Amino acid sequence: MIDLRLQGVSKKYRIRQESDAAGTSWLHRLFSFTRKEDFWALKDVSFEVRRGEALGIIGHNGAGKSTILKLLSRITTPSAGEIMINGRLSALIEVGSGFHPELTGRENIYLNGSILGMLRRDITQQFDSIVNFAELRQFIDTPAKRYSSGMYVRLGFSIAAHLNPDILLLDEVLAVGDAAFQQKCIERVLELKERGTTIVFISHDLRAVQKLCSRVILLSKGQIEADGDPAEIIALYQSSSYRLPTTRPLSDLGQKPTGEAVVTSLMFYDEHGNECLSFETGKPLTAVLKYKVSKPVDDVTFEVQFYPQEGPLRSFFSSRSIGTINLEPGEGSVVFDCSSIGLGPGVYFIDTGIRNRRAPHGVDVDWRRRCLAIRVDDTRYYLGTTFYMPYICRHSPSLSSEGSSVALSSPAATV
Amino acid sequence: MIANRPIRFIRSPSFSPLNLLRELTGLWHYRDLFYTLSVHRIKVRYKQSVLGLVWAILQPLALMLIYTVFFSVIAKVPSENVPYAVFAYAALLPWTYFSSALTNATSGLVNHSQLVTKVYFAREILPLTYVSAALFDFAVASLFLVGLFIYFRIGLTIYALWAIPILVVLTMLVTAFSLFFSVMQVRFRDVGVAMPLLLQVWMFASPVVYPLSAVPQRLRGVYTLNPLVGVIENFRRVVLQGVSPDFYSLGVSVLIAALLLPLSYLYFKRVEATMADII
Repeated sequence: MIDLRLQGVSKKYRIRQESDAAGTSWLHRLFSFTRKEDFWALKDVSFEVRRGEALGIIGHNGAGKSTILKLLSRITTPSAGEIMINGRLSALIEVGSGFHPELTGRENIYLNGSILGMLRRDITQQFDSIVNFAELRQFIDTPAKRYSSGMYVRLGFSIAAHLNPDILLLDEVLAVGDAAFQQKCIERVLELKERGTTIVFISHDLRAVQKLCSRVILLSKGQIEADGDPAEIIALYQSSSYRLPTTRPLSDLGQKPTGEAVVTSLMFYDEHGNECLSFETGKPLTAVLKYKVSKPVDDVTFEVQFYPQEGPLRSFFSSRSIGTINLEPGEGSVVFDCSSIGLGPGVYFIDTGIRNRRAPHGVDVDWRRRCLAIRVDDTRYYLGTTFYMPYICRHSPSLSSEGSSVALSSPAATV
Repeated sequence: MIANRPIRFIRSPSFSPLNLLRELTGLWHYRDLFYTLSVHRIKVRYKQSVLGLVWAILQPLALMLIYTVFFSVIAKVPSENVPYAVFAYAALLPWTYFSSALTNATSGLVNHSQLVTKVYFAREILPLTYVSAALFDFAVASLFLVGLFIYFRIGLTIYALWAIPILVVLTMLVTAFSLFFSVMQVRFRDVGVAMPLLLQVWMFASPVVYPLSAVPQRLRGVYTLNPLVGVIENFRRVVLQGVSPDFYSLGVSVLIAALLLPLSYLYFKRVEATMADII
């Protein structure tokens, strides 16, 4: 069952170049039809969403995400193409905009509910549930203008959360209220998902997208760049957003790097020596760091650190393993060879830099935070846990006394 | 549950008569929203005000007093054998309905740009709720007219029933102009700025403070083209004079209303398609 189908959908905006430059009189402005420019926010976009599917749409600002949202929720119309919607669709987008400050919470529930398309009797039926969800029982007959911003947002979301649509459009709204309320919101969405509600989630919050969605579309400049498995698409998006030359050096602790030497590039290679940003658990990886020294500096280490999307440092390469390095002006490189990647599947952000071991706490000579992202995938025999222990497996078809004692006394699995 | 899943197609907007008719019948879905918003308009207007609903009467009443002083006491404008105060009030009722609906509806869409860019609903609901709120005020202010009738001992005749179809024509006109100006305001903010001036001129171009009979015969043809002439003059005629309406001027109003309403709706729908992009 297809719940949502976009066929060759395009959206054109007409940008009026407003200039207050001298020489453009009001008369000129009034009749200057030539100075309008066309801008295609979406160009020939086609995709389908099956019933019960949770689709995430990601992309940079201006990629066309919110245009899709606006088209699906009928706020604006497409310039070309056709959208088919099978079922009742509601959007959970920036709720609360339909509130009137002079009206009480109760009146606002009816007002906002009807704006969102609920019937009065449905609202009456769900009234208590809405109030309880928003945790506003006490203030329900207080004018909304006396509400705190948190109360406002809670009430807004609570109304929208009771729409019970067949298809749910989600914006960044999951980032509302305090942590406890956010959790409640996410649970509510998951509940709807479990019930078989089709979900389209448009967000910058990649972690939330990965958690919620079973499929992700990456938009770029109004077109679909990739469509598929969330982890894969998110990694693709991230690796396209983090490239070394575009990031500026940043110190980890807010200290200024001392700058005697700088990292000029960091590249990753796969087992065939091809430059690469996506790897597989258990396969080899080589990192090559190139640097340039302007002033001599003694006793430094080179480091490459791997951070997961969330949480503390997962692992790192360090030149500490080969002892002291003293740098003289010039250029050089450091190679880290890893025979078997121990990282579990996911996206890893890379910090790299040069540290001075002489200084207390190892002051940075140069440090680049989150300068790259690599993706690590499952292999056929390895299915996602946090890390990988290299091993070899042996099997004996008959249980001879000799075979079993070996297996028990000394681990037969090493590389 | 599966049975009542509506299938909807969104395409680039089409303005064929069939499509417009479908849109029009689709308005029925928004009856709850229309009701809630209309009530909301009335409630909000009088929240945290001491006089509350009395304001609905106070506005035409104040104008009545001012006009009575200037046009009756000072300028001696004829008032067709009824006290000038009643004469003016009977015309100020429909006029206030028209002008307050138009003023509020014109800024209505732009004032709700937050809503228009976030949620979809048939946007004509917004100006229409201002019309219904103004109609409510009209009903409240009519009570005062009843009071005036009792005070001045003026009796109603059977012809007063004509007030109902006249009110329908007036509502058609109010709706047409409200739709047109509200959506014009989305594109050109000049409309809102010009509105007070326009209404000022419009009022003096309508038989509010003077009777239709005071308009020179040779100008009457052009004068009657103002669709409010037939409505306001005849409203006063059937209620105050207790005679049958002047069918020529009323006919002109009906014709213009019947012509303007679909046209302004078409224009509204055209702009509505991309309203969220330009508001």
